[in-house]
Amino acid sequence: MDKPVLQEDPSYREIVWGQFKKRTLPYSALLGIFALFFIAVYAPLVISNKPFIWQVDGGEMSFPWFSSLYDRNFFESTLDIAFNCLLFPGTILVLPAAWIWRSTSALPRKERQPKRSRAAYATLAVLLLSFLAIVAASKGTPKIVYPELQQRLEAEGKQVKAVYPLIAYSYRDINLKEVRVGISSKHFLGTDNAGRDVFSRLVYGTRISLTIGLFAVAIYILIGIFFGALAGYYGGWIDIAIQRLIEVVISIPSLFLILTVAAFIENRSIFHIMAIIAAVRWTGPARLVRGEFLRLKNLDFVAAAQASGFKESVIIFKQILPNALGPVLVSATFGVASAILTESTMSFLGLGDITVPSWGQILSTGRTTGSWVMILAPGFAIFATVSLLNLLGEGVRDALDPKLRS
Amino acid sequence: MLQYAIKRLLLMPPTFFLVSLAIFFVLNVAPGRPGTSDSAAQSGESSQSANQRESFRIFKEQFNLDKPILFNTRFSLTKADIEEALKIAYRLDSTDVRSAVRIEAQDNLDDWGNYMVRHLISILSDGSDPELSRLAALHLTSAAKTKFLRERGVEDAKTRALNREIGRRNQEFADWWWKKSETVQRAPEVKANWAKWWEKNRARYEYEGGEKASIFFSDTRFAKYWGNLLSLDFGVSTADRREVLPTIVSKLKYSMSLTMLSVILAYLIAVPIGIFSAVRNGSKSDASITLVLFILYSLPTFFTGTVLLRLLSEGDPIGWFPTGGFSSPGGDYRTTLSNLSDITWHLVLPIATYTSVSLAALSRYARSGVIDVIRADYIRTARAKGLHEFVVIMKHAVRNGMIPILTLLGTLLPVLVSGSVVIEVVFGIPGMGLYLYDAINLRDYNAVMGVLVIASSLTLVGILISDLSYAAVDPRISFD
Repeated sequence: MDKPVLQEDPSYREIVWGQFKKRTLPYSALLGIFALFFIAVYAPLVISNKPFIWQVDGGEMSFPWFSSLYDRNFFESTLDIAFNCLLFPGTILVLPAAWIWRSTSALPRKERQPKRSRAAYATLAVLLLSFLAIVAASKGTPKIVYPELQQRLEAEGKQVKAVYPLIAYSYRDINLKEVRVGISSKHFLGTDNAGRDVFSRLVYGTRISLTIGLFAVAIYILIGIFFGALAGYYGGWIDIAIQRLIEVVISIPSLFLILTVAAFIENRSIFHIMAIIAAVRWTGPARLVRGEFLRLKNLDFVAAAQASGFKESVIIFKQILPNALGPVLVSATFGVASAILTESTMSFLGLGDITVPSWGQILSTGRTTGSWVMILAPGFAIFATVSLLNLLGEGVRDALDPKLRS
Repeated sequence: MLQYAIKRLLLMPPTFFLVSLAIFFVLNVAPGRPGTSDSAAQSGESSQSANQRESFRIFKEQFNLDKPILFNTRFSLTKADIEEALKIAYRLDSTDVRSAVRIEAQDNLDDWGNYMVRHLISILSDGSDPELSRLAALHLTSAAKTKFLRERGVEDAKTRALNREIGRRNQEFADWWWKKSETVQRAPEVKANWAKWWEKNRARYEYEGGEKASIFFSDTRFAKYWGNLLSLDFGVSTADRREVLPTIVSKLKYSMSLTMLSVILAYLIAVPIGIFSAVRNGSKSDASITLVLFILYSLPTFFTGTVLLRLLSEGDPIGWFPTGGFSSPGGDYRTTLSNLSDITWHLVLPIATYTSVSLAALSRYARSGVIDVIRADYIRTARAKGLHEFVVIMKHAVRNGMIPILTLLGTLLPVLVSGSVVIEVVFGIPGMGLYLYDAINLRDYNAVMGVLVIASSLTLVGILISDLSYAAVDPRISFD
């Protein structure tokens, strides 16, 4: 006879996930966002002007593409190097993690969950360590534009063997011989004022938007949770002080404040932009969390926790906070969309990071030059990303709403 | 309710104080040098001529940028401090200093002004190092100057007379310095002049205990900022030398006519759409309306604006509308009616852009408001009574379902006044948003401050109205 299978009650997370999966539109939006993330990570595989293999006159073979991934002269920003870390050690690391995930799915929850979270933390830690090691070790090798070098060598009559990625352009390299070229089979979306390939800028721009969206929101959610939890749990003068602080921040029109602060920072990087967005937008989650805490702190389970002598930090962050996260999750999803919009607005107005290929910056070039491609392509990219995130947000909201559960 | 309103009103002044404090710090802690142009901002470089440096010094003095931010301790400067600054700024030391340090020393020599006069006099009479004495005399000619009083209006004869007197006094010592080549001939004469002058004026440049305390707090940017704020004086724009407040007020009409019309239009369209799709909840028409609104909701403003502008106004493919601005030039020579039609013609695209963005959000609010109400028991009761469906919807459902969307008006007030930066930049409408945008690009501190303070105080009022109207309309909301 078979062993009796214990029928587990689904956990809250599983209920919500089941609700979420039932609706096709938000679920496919989630898949779409994963696809964007995939594009952002694997962009160098398709777009890069460094050849995978390079050989002159049957001499020594070199592999410039691989070394360029962590090259400070080629991928100048730390952000790109981080994404390249996801591409190379990341892909390899995800495989064992995924294997553990699969192999534990048959286990009962009590055994499954600690194993899975241990695997997840270990993967993250190794990834972070390898990223730090790579950033510390990354150097700048002399900049060589391989396609041009190849032409020159071939003109000298040398035999050059080179295998390039599909689109052999860098999003950064200026080419003043091909300024504002229209759509062609060479340049799918033409080139911009400096002769840079618009298509590759657009693809690499995914990295900028996703990073700013995710990280700005992560930062301000943490700030908001911290202040909101303190205000809601303790009440009294702490609450009054935090409420005043929130009121001050929301009283200054947020775009005005963001633009002003951004304008006064010299050499803005995307990290500044994340920080500015976070510094202005944390009030939303803070108010939500405060409201949830006001409601939850009078419930029995909090009294029970207090009576059993838990530390206050444990009560706040381990007992109450998980119950208050629902609305925060919804606002975070919409927040990512609005952070991406804010960033592209900033770079459209010329107040973003001018060194990165941001969608807003491409659109701004499109506006000044009147080129339809440079208006429509980045506009559509922003629109698609934002609507995917908004769809996802609606899905999360519906999935968390007990009234809509069937 | 009344208690709540009074409490909120009483909280306004402290909140406003904190908001102004925040704005002050945003503007003053920010790195970067103010200036009317790049050349002024760069004048820390020693390559600039003395004339340019002097004009930049006067510029800083005019806008209080020479003062320390929070506390003024310049009365405790010592002779050694100034000697060191002079040595660094003029490379008298053989030691190599970084250019940032030198620029700082030069700035300090400009900014310390009256506070270093007594030490400069003492360095001048010291005479141990002739070059140092020469520089001391050179700096005395600007440091000893008395600041002019601000003139308010053209008819201010008294201030004008006082300023003339100050100018005469400042002119007296304008050439009491010497070139390096003339040290032997002129130094004794100049030194004697300064000594005589110092005997007469020393009381003005030496500070007693009580005076020090008042300088410590009042001769700072922070104190001047508050003084100006309380007298509703935002100063003069550093970019175009015009008063900030009247400029902002004149910008209001552009921003307001744009946003008011757009918001009215958005409400007029959004409410019926919201009601319609709420009543037909779940039908095909509801689904398609929701889809269209969703698309509008996710479109970035600057994208919609750019596309409309490029599509309909540049003559390629279509040139129906002007490419930007609020009206065509020469409005004085036209009739009111043709002016009105001219403005309308200019505003079609910006209003369409603005409306499309706010429309989406508003009708989603309206729809969900009505849907929430339609599920309520009293609607079922109304239907059960046999009321006509139209009456049920319009009288029972819509009235209650519109509460959230009406209170949104309060939060829209600041947007109404401050306009939209993006739309004003894209369409070149000279409203508050464009003014702020230009001001931050030019580092026009006074203008930025003015716009931020006014927009924030309007937002404060807007939030208050929104909260109060919410409390007034919905009696279920209680306040502690």
